[in-house]
Amino acid sequence: MKFPSLFRRTPFRLTLLFLALFVAAAGSVLAWVYVASATEARARAEADVRSEVGVLASLYRARGVDALNQALVERSIRGGANLYLLMDAQRKVITGNVSESPFEGTDGAGAGRWSTFRLTATDDEGRVENRQSIGIEMQMSGGEILFVGQDIGDTEAYLGRLTQALWAAMLLVLLLGAGGGLIVSRNVERSMGRLNRVVQAVQNGDLKARADVRRSGDELDELGAGLNQMLDRLEVSMASIRHAGDAIAHDLRSPLTRMRAKMEVALIDAESGKTDGVEALHIALNEADALLKTFNTVLAIARLQAAAGRTPDPAVFDAADLAADMAELYEPAAEEKQMEFSAEIERGLMIEANQPFLAQALANLIDNAVKYTPPGGAVKLRARRRSSGEVEFSVTDTGPGVPAEDRERVTQRFVRLDNSRTEAGSGLGLSLVTAVIEAHGGRLMLDEGPGVHDGFGPGLRVAMVLPPAAAPTAAATP
Amino acid sequence: MRILVVEDDSEAAAAMMRGLSEAGHEAVHAVDGAFGLLEAQKGGYDVYVVDRMMPRLDGVGMVETLRRDGDQTPVLFLSALGEVEDRVTGLKAGADDYLVKPYAFAELIARVEALSRRRETGSVATMLKVGDLEMNLIARTVHREGREIDLQPREFQLLEFLMRHAGQSVTRTMLLEKVWEYHFDPQTNVIDVHISRLRSKIDKGFDKAMLQTVRGAGYRLEA
Repeated sequence: MKFPSLFRRTPFRLTLLFLALFVAAAGSVLAWVYVASATEARARAEADVRSEVGVLASLYRARGVDALNQALVERSIRGGANLYLLMDAQRKVITGNVSESPFEGTDGAGAGRWSTFRLTATDDEGRVENRQSIGIEMQMSGGEILFVGQDIGDTEAYLGRLTQALWAAMLLVLLLGAGGGLIVSRNVERSMGRLNRVVQAVQNGDLKARADVRRSGDELDELGAGLNQMLDRLEVSMASIRHAGDAIAHDLRSPLTRMRAKMEVALIDAESGKTDGVEALHIALNEADALLKTFNTVLAIARLQAAAGRTPDPAVFDAADLAADMAELYEPAAEEKQMEFSAEIERGLMIEANQPFLAQALANLIDNAVKYTPPGGAVKLRARRRSSGEVEFSVTDTGPGVPAEDRERVTQRFVRLDNSRTEAGSGLGLSLVTAVIEAHGGRLMLDEGPGVHDGFGPGLRVAMVLPPAAAPTAAATP
Repeated sequence: MRILVVEDDSEAAAAMMRGLSEAGHEAVHAVDGAFGLLEAQKGGYDVYVVDRMMPRLDGVGMVETLRRDGDQTPVLFLSALGEVEDRVTGLKAGADDYLVKPYAFAELIARVEALSRRRETGSVATMLKVGDLEMNLIARTVHREGREIDLQPREFQLLEFLMRHAGQSVTRTMLLEKVWEYHFDPQTNVIDVHISRLRSKIDKGFDKAMLQTVRGAGYRLEA
């Protein structure tokens, strides 16, 4: 990764921001520590000096200048951080361990005023040092001037080291923060890069591209997993659209070919005078109507499949009413074929569904049953609520049934079993039912009917199972 | 009948005009919703046939404007889409009926005639009478030549619809939509069986067969 681009990255910017905030906070704390330490050290030194001045002053008052002189000599020999200088009224040095008072040259004696100054001294190894010191002067009753100070160079040095340590700490914070930020932003960048590469690949038309998702469970992995799921879904949709396109082409090619052949034959017949053109036109019109019907069904299947499990225009209604209407609609047609038609419908079967599609699906099932059951047989429609709460429509007939091994196959498009080829139909009936059921999140079940007896059977039982309406039954449509 | 056809596809419009005039109606063509509105405002039409998809002002917009202006002339909506939601938007906009392209002429004419008739019988009738067939809508009874005919509830509804449109062709799809109130393809001619049951009740034993089959269209109840 190039550096300039790094600065534009959100994680790095965030790191910098937090780093700046942290440095400001740490800096404030450290500055406070410094100021507090320095103030404390100075105050302690001043207190020391003041008490020493007090001791020496009382010695002077009690025993005179010689005793004071003696004490100062002793103290100077003993060593220590304290500085002493006793001068006469003309500021001539009498005794002391410093050569001159820092108040030298100022107007009069600096009685009661503190002076901060640098004491020039040589250390043990003979190096010249300028050591930070403080001191105060006091005029004795005899006119002598006493200066007492303290070398606070050690404290100063300590504070200096403290300052250094603080700066070092700040530097460390900065380095660690910047380094950490860099690593974090690189990691984020790498994850984002993976996602970006997937997005770019998809943009370039590669729908198979997927992000590697680690198991860390962070937001980026979640995003990656979400992206993958989205792409999976998209791929399925695309595939189903492609499949639908192929299927439509296939579905319409055969009826168009058939229509063309029929019209060609009709034209030859008409030209040779065997039939008149009107007959050919009737054939063409009927074929065109059949083709349009097939086309509509294919379109409906494609739309239902593209809906991918979502019901188009759902409404809440009582499936019992629908079942009763269908029974009423188809009963005469079944009886016309000398079939016994019966319906057993439970009341109050609220479902949320697309009513026209569901009506079409149920009609297709009943129509199939009536179509394939020989005269004298029976067709039964049942609508009931399963113990699971799902609503089940089933149509049972006493026709030839569908062998177990073919049951999966008959729901596919244009599959017609050999013994049904004599009946009219496009072979799309059950495919549409399947598509309707899938769009409603339900399932289709094919089973054997009541079995073989009296020359009928084994029959077929087709059941559509739909989830119940989410809302309680009170949400009935008027 | 005077019919205003609002359709932007000139070939489809020409075919429709021809079909309507063959059926004995006077048809006027407007090429889009805006012209359609202008023509409709001149008045004197019995039915508007309006295409849904048109440039400038589409069918929904045109019908909404008409209804806002208080024009209650029946409207038949045409659409190439035929989806449920389209039917709903069409009817919500104020259309009275809906037909999906491509359609059979017989279907179009039957629906147009049914719409115009609907306006004529605006008043609430308690009795319907077609020839010697009488229907009492309150008592829910039917008599022919004074003899009572016993009908199932659905047969009664079916006959009521046929009587209200006596003399007109009604198609199977219209019956499924208006009597059963379902919009789907019943695959087989289930309606035919219901009609033949009804026919056996109202025509059997009488000299004249009132319920006639119209080839290529549907059925017609004749006095």
